Amino acid sequence: MILAAAMNPEAFSGAQDAVVRLRRGDPDALAAMISRYQHRLYRYLLRLVREPGAADDLFQQTWLRVMEKIGRYDARRNFESWLFSVAHNLAVDAWRMKHGESLDDPGDAENHGRPLGDWLKTGDPDALERLLDFERGARLAACIEELPVIHREVLALRFEEDMKLEEIAAVIDIPLSTVKSRLRRALEGLRAAMEARSPERRGA
Amino acid sequence: MSEHESMAGLLALAAAGALDIQQQRLLEEHARACPVCRRELEVWSLYGQSLRRLPQPPVPAQLMERTRARLMSERTAAADRTWEALMLGSLALFAWSVGLAFWFVARIVTGGQLLVMGANLVRFGTWSAGSTLLVWLTAAVAALALGKRRRELRRAL
Repeated sequence: MILAAAMNPEAFSGAQDAVVRLRRGDPDALAAMISRYQHRLYRYLLRLVREPGAADDLFQQTWLRVMEKIGRYDARRNFESWLFSVAHNLAVDAWRMKHGESLDDPGDAENHGRPLGDWLKTGDPDALERLLDFERGARLAACIEELPVIHREVLALRFEEDMKLEEIAAVIDIPLSTVKSRLRRALEGLRAAMEARSPERRGA
Repeated sequence: MSEHESMAGLLALAAAGALDIQQQRLLEEHARACPVCRRELEVWSLYGQSLRRLPQPPVPAQLMERTRARLMSERTAAADRTWEALMLGSLALFAWSVGLAFWFVARIVTGGQLLVMGANLVRFGTWSAGSTLLVWLTAAVAALALGKRRRELRRAL
């Protein structure tokens, strides 16, 4: 979508224009922006917090914060990544209040998943067929929910929001190398969870 | 670390499109010669495709309308707070000015001395302390009352 906006100057200037009108407090611009981002922002928050009620509340809080801070928004910055970073920060605060730890703490994330080398050692020749055989989407979504929050977040931003690695780094405020390592661990963890749920393994 | 092992570390990132051009080229070259990595690359590629097509959660009913309503409500509350603060300041300034005018009148009428329980009420320090306290209390009550009336009128409209 970002790429689409970048390749479509009209869409990009439309977004910038909406931001300018938003800064002036134009209620129509606000409605347009909420409408434009509601699916993506809600989906991102839901992937993070997993509870529809909490995602709903964070969605509303995000727009309240956007309206509070829009005067200080640097127009040279990508609005989308700024918006998601506002949502990320609110989710971090909510998570910290609820769980007493930072969203960015790796927690059990470092041990989640299986080293990639193991996959190659075991061979697992049926992996491709199994992956194709099952209701992939629903099972994948269920497996993603088992992942640590920091891994769910990078997967959502990369694959669903189609953000570049640099944009993900800006949203979460972490170095690019950390984005890459989180992505790798997230994918490995996801694959481990998918394999653990496969019927062959359950039946064994 | 063998080439195979170092390439294995790049497979998942390839699915995420997170390799630079050189890494991507090295991995592709290796995969052409290595059936295990080629197969792994296919599997990871399927993961990547599937992750881009996950079932989409429905947006809760009237999320946009509720968000707009909450924003408007917050904005109105903030405007009310600003209005009440301005009203408090204006009323206090007005009342203090009136108090000062009365002080001049009181001094002229009483000849500069009005003793109550041993204190000269028309002495500037006593008068200004008393009137300031009285003025701020009255202004605060008036501002709150006016603010309440304003909110009630808005609700009625």
